Amino acid sequence: MTHTSSFDQKYRGVPGALAPRSRPFIQRHPSVMIFIACLALFTLVVTVLSEGFGVGLISTSFVKTLGKTLCLCLVALAMDVVWGYCGILSLGHMAFFGIGGYAIGMWLMYARTELIVVQSLAAAPLPPTPEEISQGIATQIFGVVGASEFPPIWAFAHSLPLQLAAVVLVPGLLALVFGWLAFRARVTGVYLSILTQAMTLALALYLFQNDSGLRGNNGLSGLQNLPGQADTPQSTISIWFFWAAALALGLGYIFCAWMVSGKFGSVIRAIRDDEARVRFLGYSVEAYKLTVFTVTAVIAGIAGALYYPQAGIINPAEIAPIASIYLAVWVAIGGRGRLYGAVIGAAFVSLLSTWFTGGQAPDINLGVYTIQWVNWWTVLLGLSFVVVTLLAPKGIGGLFDLIGKGRKS
Amino acid sequence: MSRLLIILWCLMCAVPAVAQDADAPIQQVMQAHAAEIAKASRRTIQPAIDALTDSGLPAAEIVLERWQAKEMWQDEATGLFVFAEEIDRDTIRIFDVSGPDIGEVSDEGYKQLKPNSGVRGLIAAALVKFQLTNDSPAIRRVALDAIARDPNESHLPALRDVIPAERSANLAAQMTRLERLLTISFGASEEEQIEAIAHFEGDLGVDVRGALNPLVKTTIKAAETVPEDPALVRALRPGTDALSKSDAYALLVADDLAPPLIPADAVRQTLIANIEDGKVAGVQVASLSTVQARNAAFATLVAEGRANPAATEQEIDDRLDAYQFFELYTGAPAVAIAAQSVLSGIETKVALNQTADLALDAISLASIYFLAAIGLAITFGVMGVINMAHGEFIMMGAYTGYVVQLFIPDHTLSILLAIPLAFMVTFAAGVAMERLVIRWLYHRPLETLLATFGVSIALQQLAKNIFGTQARPLTAPGWLDGSLVINDIVAISYIRIAILILALIFLAVFLIVMNRTRLGLEVRAVTQNPRMAASMGINPDRINMLTFGFGSGIAGIAGVAIGLYAKVTSEMGADYIVQSFMTVVVGGVGNIWGTLLGAAMVGTLQKVIEWLNPSNTLAAQTYMILFIILFIQFRPRGIIALKGRAAEA
Amino acid sequence: MKNPILGTTAALLMASALPALAQDCPIKVGVLHSLSGTMAISETTLKDTMEMLVEQQNEAGGVLGCQLKAVVVDPASDWPLFAEKARELLTVHEVDVIFGNWTSVSRKSVLPVIEELNGLLFYPVQYEGEESSKNVFYTGAAPNQQAIPATDYFLEELGVEKFALLGTDYVYPRTTNNILESYLKSKGIAAEDIFVNYTPFGHSDWSKIVADVVALGADGKKVGVISTINGDANVGFYKELAAAGISADDIPVVAFSVGEEELAGLDTSNLVGHLAAWNYFQSAESDANEAWVEAWKARMGEDRVTNDPMEAHYIGFNMWVNAATAAGTTDVDAVRDAMYGQEFPNLTGGTAVMLPNHHLSKPVLIGEIQDDGQFDIISQTSEVPGDAWTDYLPESAVLKSDWQELGCGMYNTSTSTCVQIKSNY
Repeated sequence: MTHTSSFDQKYRGVPGALAPRSRPFIQRHPSVMIFIACLALFTLVVTVLSEGFGVGLISTSFVKTLGKTLCLCLVALAMDVVWGYCGILSLGHMAFFGIGGYAIGMWLMYARTELIVVQSLAAAPLPPTPEEISQGIATQIFGVVGASEFPPIWAFAHSLPLQLAAVVLVPGLLALVFGWLAFRARVTGVYLSILTQAMTLALALYLFQNDSGLRGNNGLSGLQNLPGQADTPQSTISIWFFWAAALALGLGYIFCAWMVSGKFGSVIRAIRDDEARVRFLGYSVEAYKLTVFTVTAVIAGIAGALYYPQAGIINPAEIAPIASIYLAVWVAIGGRGRLYGAVIGAAFVSLLSTWFTGGQAPDINLGVYTIQWVNWWTVLLGLSFVVVTLLAPKGIGGLFDLIGKGRKS
Repeated sequence: MSRLLIILWCLMCAVPAVAQDADAPIQQVMQAHAAEIAKASRRTIQPAIDALTDSGLPAAEIVLERWQAKEMWQDEATGLFVFAEEIDRDTIRIFDVSGPDIGEVSDEGYKQLKPNSGVRGLIAAALVKFQLTNDSPAIRRVALDAIARDPNESHLPALRDVIPAERSANLAAQMTRLERLLTISFGASEEEQIEAIAHFEGDLGVDVRGALNPLVKTTIKAAETVPEDPALVRALRPGTDALSKSDAYALLVADDLAPPLIPADAVRQTLIANIEDGKVAGVQVASLSTVQARNAAFATLVAEGRANPAATEQEIDDRLDAYQFFELYTGAPAVAIAAQSVLSGIETKVALNQTADLALDAISLASIYFLAAIGLAITFGVMGVINMAHGEFIMMGAYTGYVVQLFIPDHTLSILLAIPLAFMVTFAAGVAMERLVIRWLYHRPLETLLATFGVSIALQQLAKNIFGTQARPLTAPGWLDGSLVINDIVAISYIRIAILILALIFLAVFLIVMNRTRLGLEVRAVTQNPRMAASMGINPDRINMLTFGFGSGIAGIAGVAIGLYAKVTSEMGADYIVQSFMTVVVGGVGNIWGTLLGAAMVGTLQKVIEWLNPSNTLAAQTYMILFIILFIQFRPRGIIALKGRAAEA
Repeated sequence: MKNPILGTTAALLMASALPALAQDCPIKVGVLHSLSGTMAISETTLKDTMEMLVEQQNEAGGVLGCQLKAVVVDPASDWPLFAEKARELLTVHEVDVIFGNWTSVSRKSVLPVIEELNGLLFYPVQYEGEESSKNVFYTGAAPNQQAIPATDYFLEELGVEKFALLGTDYVYPRTTNNILESYLKSKGIAAEDIFVNYTPFGHSDWSKIVADVVALGADGKKVGVISTINGDANVGFYKELAAAGISADDIPVVAFSVGEEELAGLDTSNLVGHLAAWNYFQSAESDANEAWVEAWKARMGEDRVTNDPMEAHYIGFNMWVNAATAAGTTDVDAVRDAMYGQEFPNLTGGTAVMLPNHHLSKPVLIGEIQDDGQFDIISQTSEVPGDAWTDYLPESAVLKSDWQELGCGMYNTSTSTCVQIKSNY
């Protein structure tokens, strides 16, 4: 592997890689400023045009789509840091994304059901005991899958703070343990990719089982209904989540930009380019990789926790290996190794995907055969992915370089 | 116009040339049971069948046979039964039950009798009487099958009558065995039964256990002392696996030896019943929102004598201690003991054979994984190229087989043709992919992985667009139907044996090609040092292309085999890809023996986990993957690790 | 309202969000079936069915003087996408009724949206019950219209004494098997005579499970298999059964998810005699069915088959048309009230009636597989009323659904209270 020859070339696109340290972070990274400004403007426009808080030009379902897209952009950012900057092609980050969704979903289901059960038990002659309430909730939640008792995994579901902690801790811990095992054994490159994919598959298969205690194939549903907000219309709730997703993306972007700049950023890029050399220079490569892997898993978990209340349902199919592959596809098409590339890739491809599979794209009649995009979009996506990998490794983000070059010359 | 003609024609047909003979004796017998026959149910039909068999009429056998074959119809107007053959959708040719052809009629006004398989089983059991003495061995065999399925007491004398006269040794053996089995169940005396039981010492047949097990049924009883009874199996103690405390107590309750327990919900019900002015026993109802508060209020009620206290653990235990529990044979003790001793002997043998069967299953699964992975062992193991579209090559092979079968209906010929064709198709696809994609990405393994993923996604959807998402049939030739049955426990289907053989052939081909041919030499040279190889006059481009094509082609043949035993869908490749990579990685990249070991390990492991947890196959797959992840921690380079410089390549 | 412009816009919006009036032409019929992804093969057929029904209705003069227009969206077998597309249908396309869904999980995904926006969904597939939504009409079979009668048939007609409940690991088999286990125990079958196994979707390695089933016969009891195995996995299962030489006379298999469509992927010559239970088979003999099959084949091709969920849509759609005509509007609440007691002839003969619990009363048919991939109907019951809450599970035995009188889908008859108005999802 010879990456060193292209060292300069690779670093040209990195904002402020060689800038002096004295100036404030934002000044050293004007692109972060631009991104935050764009995101704020976008949030404002969507809010003004929404049904919940504005003139209603954008339907609630589209607000939800946009809000979900922002979450996907956030997980794409995480993927870009771990893959584009650190060179670890993880095919497991959508698993962390899903775990975040499950963690928040458990509380949402529990709390919503608790309100219903308490209300219905209020009519009973004796006031309900906590055990009866818990039994009632369990029957409601698990009646669907033929059980009526809470599995131990739901022990903390009653508490929002604890489940919020789980959103961060469970993906973080899983990533820490898995990463520690994998990096310690010096599993690298494609082996690591396959191993992360196996992890994702194992998790998905585990969740598919009814015995996992997370309602098997059905997953957790009705997540869009916030507990205690039964009277708040979805048009309002969707905007709340849109704001939360925009905020999370903004903060995530700043955090990622901060992480990949400075010495830490230089080291992880160096690991990407030549791991052995960094190790010989005395850096603890494993510690760096583990940090990046874990931190990005946490970001993915947070993104998932914001995504699934908007989607309304989470189930094991969301964690299937193909989801993580699509994540890699977005980042590759957007342009690896630059944060805005990941965001653009995720937004562009997922929205395009929605458009093509949503039946809105006009079919093309070739006379002998009608191209229905519903069927052919995936073929196009797969092929364009091959083409991007072969011919435009910098992805869409690479176009910005061309513009920059044009201006300089 | 044409429709009018048809109607006219049908009307003409509806007037049969020969009238039905309503007075034929056989028709009379049937008419006596017309209601049961017309709406036949296993529970009510026996008298009608008996009436037919006992009638002594020669036509009875034919009536039963045709009734069983769903060839008997009923004239809805007259209620008379006729035999009929369907000519087309609306026309039938009817015959009188006593034989004569009546003619073609419209099926309007006639109702086909469709005895369900329960009724058909009873008819078959009744037909045995006629069939056992039939001249054709095939029909006698049908009769024996019917007895084996639905044995009844009348079969025993019938069998004993025909055994001496049976000419076919094969059938005679089968008859003797059946006669012994029936004697176990229906033997006239205990001695006869015991003698028959002894005959089956060590026999593994499911039917033997089926006959013996009902004889050793037991029941659990309670009494103050264990009686001296020949039927006594053993004494039991409550609180053991064989008898839980709650079951034991329930037994006492059932025998009126103990008062029933107060149900768990009693506290709540009692409290509700005693609510007075918003208070229970002086406690505000609103404060009864914990178990403790409720128990306290209940205790007050008990103290006031307004509720019965629940039995304590101690009371239950005391009561249980006062009685002895024991197990008794329900049937004749002597027979039961004889059956039990034979069964115990059989059970050890059964366990051994089950292990053997599990081992066969594991070998079979391993061979399937090996077959799926062997192409990968070439492209990934030898060349180091990650091909995520490998699964799709398997799929392409299977669809090739399907398409060939569309054109060539003969299954043997079509499979023989499909195998080379699948190889050619996937070889070509592999070469094309190598030329167009992979060639540009050597030394960029992560990019190769992604690009081949793209190809995989596109190919899968393409297959859906062409063939649809539903599974397509790929049918094995007739000579691969059925199983190699070693005994009633150990069996393996021929198709799995064929896959095993195919896997071994591939192993041999791989070894010969890699070690004994010019191509193999060049491949090894190119993988070890492409520059050196090139300077020796080998064209690395060409070698890479051919090797990749070879690996892909083998995947195509694997696809045909896998499609034969399972299904052909666009997603079948995706089912195998992760497992295949695991097999190669676990076994050790770059070594075919490693792949073989990897497949063996993965297959065995999965079967063992399935055996440990038979009700959930999904769990087996999950744990297997977890195990593999852990395994790789400890042997990152697989079971057979390449050493030295080759390992760094 | 601080901002007068915003206020007006909001008022306008609210006006436009009011239920579509009868004179709004054309009347829009939403079709929410996956056209891509794993469920496409099953669901595309239903999309075609709906398009055919809408076309036929338009030829017959439409509804309320309006032409009908089918609005087809593709939720791509992606469960969250079902919720999104349902919202899109109801708010963007403003459809008057939705016909859609196949899997239970997709229905659960759509439920909150339909209930929030007061939509109307016709769900055409056999399902596990234990649910009742004010906004959903269940035209497929509830467990007591398929699983229970089939089990009765096993017990009474085939004399099965030992049961293997084999299913794919998801909610329909899980719940159905739970109900059946409890039902069998109530019929005196001991717990050790019930063998339950779950396999993943698309499972292909069946040898061990088939061997386990054969081994069940060792205690001399007649063994029967009740299969809730879904989709592709059936191919491998039946192939293994055939290879093991198990005939329907030895160990009968009754399947709840295998219909004419599924058999198209199989060589059925080795499966003759195995059973399936549905409310409809293509081989049913009635004039209406002959016309229906003929129309379907004329439209889709000679080799296409009809199946049970298609009939469910046929009945559901015609009932909706009649209810809308009776109500004089397509307003959801008015149509719902008009739906109760709607009658429409089944394709298998007899009449389907819409009950206050949003289920149909339909006959239960049991068919034996024939070598041409069709079913020979050997048993047909009279109409069985669908039951939302099964009587065979203790938690749900006390529950009852009656939207007409009680206005509650989850009414606890022991405490005489409504547990909840929204459905549980």
